[in-house]
Amino acid sequence: MIHILGIRHHGPGSAKNVKDFLEAVKPDIVLVEGPPEADPLLEWVTHAELKPPVAILVYQPDDLQRSSFYPFAEFSPEWQAITYARRNKVHVRFMDLPMGHHLALENETKKVNEAPGAAGPSVNSYAWRNNEVAAATALRKDPIAYLAAAAGYDDGEKWWEHMFEHRQNREQVFDAVTEAMQVLREAFPQPEDHMEQLREAWMRKTIRQAEKELFQNIAVICGAWHAPALVSMPKPKEDNELLKGLPKVKVECTWIPWTYSRLSYYSGYGAGIGSPGWYDHIWHHPADDGTRWMAKVAKLFRTKQMDTSVAHVIEAVRLAESLASLRNLYKAGLEELNEATQTVLCNGESILMQLINDELIVSNRIGEVPQQIPKPPLQLDIEKLQKRLRLPATADFKDYTLDLRKENDLERSIFLHRLQLLDINWGEQHEVSGKGTFKELWRLQWNPELSINIIEKGNWGNTVAEAAERFVIAKAGEAGTLSTVTGLLEHTIPAELHRAVEVCIQSINNLAAASGDVIQLMEVVPGLVQVSRYGSVRKTDADLVLGIVNSMLTRIYVSLPAACTALTDEAAQKLLELFFKLNDAVNVLQQPDLTGQWQQTLQAIAAADNTSPMIAGYATRLLADFRLLEGDALVRVFHYAMSAATPPDKAAAWLEGFLKGSGTILLVDEELWSLVNNWVNILDEETFTSVLPLLRRTFSGFSSPERKKLGEKVKTGGAGAAGRPLADASLDEERARQGIPVILQLLGIKS
Amino acid sequence: MSTLLRQHAEQLYAQELEELQKQDTGKRPHNWKLTPQAVVTYLTGGKLKNGFEVSPKYIGNKRLMEIAVATLTTDRALLLYGLPGTAKSWVSEHLSAAVSGDSTMIVQGTAGTSEEAIRYGWNYARLLAEGPSEKALVETPIMRSMKEGKIARIEELTRIGADVQDTLITILSEKTLPVPELNTEVQAVKGFNVIATANNRDKGVNELSSALKRRFNTVILPVPDSIEEEIDIVKRRVESFEKIMELPAEPPALQEIRRIVTIFRELRSGVTTDGKTRIKIPSGTLSTAEAISVVNNGLAMAAYFGDGQLKAADLAAGIIGSVVKDPVQDKLVWQEYLETVVKPREDWKDIYRACRDLI
Repeated sequence: MIHILGIRHHGPGSAKNVKDFLEAVKPDIVLVEGPPEADPLLEWVTHAELKPPVAILVYQPDDLQRSSFYPFAEFSPEWQAITYARRNKVHVRFMDLPMGHHLALENETKKVNEAPGAAGPSVNSYAWRNNEVAAATALRKDPIAYLAAAAGYDDGEKWWEHMFEHRQNREQVFDAVTEAMQVLREAFPQPEDHMEQLREAWMRKTIRQAEKELFQNIAVICGAWHAPALVSMPKPKEDNELLKGLPKVKVECTWIPWTYSRLSYYSGYGAGIGSPGWYDHIWHHPADDGTRWMAKVAKLFRTKQMDTSVAHVIEAVRLAESLASLRNLYKAGLEELNEATQTVLCNGESILMQLINDELIVSNRIGEVPQQIPKPPLQLDIEKLQKRLRLPATADFKDYTLDLRKENDLERSIFLHRLQLLDINWGEQHEVSGKGTFKELWRLQWNPELSINIIEKGNWGNTVAEAAERFVIAKAGEAGTLSTVTGLLEHTIPAELHRAVEVCIQSINNLAAASGDVIQLMEVVPGLVQVSRYGSVRKTDADLVLGIVNSMLTRIYVSLPAACTALTDEAAQKLLELFFKLNDAVNVLQQPDLTGQWQQTLQAIAAADNTSPMIAGYATRLLADFRLLEGDALVRVFHYAMSAATPPDKAAAWLEGFLKGSGTILLVDEELWSLVNNWVNILDEETFTSVLPLLRRTFSGFSSPERKKLGEKVKTGGAGAAGRPLADASLDEERARQGIPVILQLLGIKS
Repeated sequence: MSTLLRQHAEQLYAQELEELQKQDTGKRPHNWKLTPQAVVTYLTGGKLKNGFEVSPKYIGNKRLMEIAVATLTTDRALLLYGLPGTAKSWVSEHLSAAVSGDSTMIVQGTAGTSEEAIRYGWNYARLLAEGPSEKALVETPIMRSMKEGKIARIEELTRIGADVQDTLITILSEKTLPVPELNTEVQAVKGFNVIATANNRDKGVNELSSALKRRFNTVILPVPDSIEEEIDIVKRRVESFEKIMELPAEPPALQEIRRIVTIFRELRSGVTTDGKTRIKIPSGTLSTAEAISVVNNGLAMAAYFGDGQLKAADLAAGIIGSVVKDPVQDKLVWQEYLETVVKPREDWKDIYRACRDLI
């Protein structure tokens, strides 16, 4: 006797039906839609520590981008079928087309159809491929909608739910499903899909095999769409023809934890469901009339500081019930409960409904997998470290502020940095508020796809430290540009991978020596200087870095003056930015020797005639800041640069460089101010008119409050007044004396 | 044809209600004229089994009407909330007409609404002559609907002073209205409930106390989702207006209605329909109801002062009247809209000219 049970994946109603049915007919073997390679994994299903939602991960060890997940929630009919079988010591097998064939076939079609590199690498990561990816789209969009429309529903999904999922009277429901699907398959034949045919043929083959092994009572659990194809069996020969000579690749499987949010179709999952949290609820409380759900909602609201009384809950449940009876439903569904929540608890506003959706309807649940399951060693190491450092993997995000002066926090930070180096992006580092280099803020959120990343990186080593180190070394070896390696080094130092740091530094040294491009060197140095500052908190190789910085700076000094000539405006702008950063970096280092050399370089640049004017202006300005150019010398250089013989565009560029970003400095630095101010004052009218555009151009770079203040300063005389004597020509002392008594009286001074 | 200026919903749609009642075989809540399902059909329209067509009164989300009707079957009162002109009073009138067959049990909320207007008042001549007695008591619509088991309506609930609002608490929770002067009370008969409306744009309103809020289920009526939906609403309402006012004008072309609705929607949302241009938003609400009255107004203009055909010139005054509520700021907004959005549109030249002449 063969029983075909057509189900909806992750349908709690289907799960209940399957469970009841199996308990009633007591089959001696259960066949479930799924990859046969995962058969050995089935023995774990009744393990106490395997807590759904979990997924079977099937991957191709030599090409990890090609992998598939088969998620199971507690309310998945497949899960119920498997647990039934395990609990009652009945045989249970997966019966879908083996993933090895599936992937191999896909490889072939891919080669035929696509130019290499046309598609992204992960064609099929987390599509729930066996269960109706192909069928689900067709099934959901077209045919079922016809049945639903015939029954007067506007949505196929909803119709299915009311017809089969919420059904109380379960007799013959599976026959009805098969019959309905049969009609659909006849009325709306799907375009020939070779893969679908193969899959159904393989399922039939598995069923025949079971019959051959003399099983008497066979229960088959499959997606509803496939049910008719398994009821009416063609001749075995046809199927065998079809399945002959299929290509095959090697695959491996394991259990991994899954999350409810990954189960929802919001995350792009083909056979996804809209409300895993709600399904979980009705699976555990099938008799709930909405009261328990509303109580959950109220509890959630209360934790968010929103007053919700018991009376609210009562009213909401009542409204949901009357809505259900108004719509001729025997019981309030999620929609009725949501509408009641919004109307009664939220005063009609829809804002809070998002909260309910995230926390309850989808919910943040994450599954668990027992320690003993054979896992890649890297995965084990990560789990060990997670446990030791008390950093649990959660589906919801959690923030950690780490104080690197504490031993445990430092270790956590090292661990997280290492994972990041391995591209296992569990944690995300955020800017931390406040000063000091000893604090780090991390936001951690586990995501089931990380499992595949971990397996992929397993090639590099069996522990996090080892894998990260080797991975970085390999990357540093491949890197062709200085900035890549410095970027790598910046992350490697906080990860405390000493050998990798050494390799990075070496690689930087080699690249720097080979690089003729001074700009590239200048881009890298500020980052390295930043890195060397870590030395204060972390016991790392800051000295090593400093050595490199020294040699790189020397190289820069030598070739910089030549690099500043004959530049376009844009290139000069870019170089100016680098100058700015490099100057900062030199100042941070505070090494007299390096600073001295830097100043000499600047002098050379400022003095050279063919230096790009903007750079020359900026270099002059830096020299003035270092107090190497002062007083008359500065005035002379300034006037020289701005003299009438210089073409206006050059003069403008020089001035722009000279006053770069110093609107505020101009306000407070009297010397700079009087320099510019006096220069403007001595210009005759004609020259003034001709330089006005240049000044405008420079000053337009300042922010508008700065400009306003500068204007005020000019108006009131400002510091410029100090240099300019007051008008003193015609002071009539006699007349002035006459006013004195009045002023004294006003000031309250007796004369 | 009735000579009344405006008929109540139950008068105007008497035939529909009667047909519904005939077809309606389900179980009715006590004192309801129709089953809840039939009330929803009355509001959202539909075809009855015998082919009788029920016209839709509320065009929009059917689920909202279901929530409203379901609320009335429970012992919570219904609060319809939303911007002015989103059909709150309209829905309230039709709900009570369909449920109780009577939409006249109405209290208009104002800042001056007193407790006597909600609970009961006294006929002072009688009170002085005979002392407190049943005869000297003046019943309010609320008291009467409690006695008769009908739906009472309160318009603009939030405009009523907070202390007066709270007199509703006893009525809504205990379902009784004590009359201490006579040492009696009026207990509500089954079928009694309250539909209140309130709008969330007004200033100087009195927020409901949380005790009172808890007695209401709130349904927020939104502005129409799509332009098609809004055009449909305007069209239907204008048609019924024409019929009642017996205007000798031709019905407006759909084109004309579409333009009005487009102008209103664009100014309301602050962006043109193609989503490309940002527009300043005027201070008025520019609801669907106002669009309807602009078209009605234009029809009247066309009928009596024009050639009987609705032209841009007939509409212009109405549009400006509803957009420019603040003579200084809104005028600028409107002029900007006129010059940047209306003017460049090829087939809107007539409306541009008509509006520009008026400013």
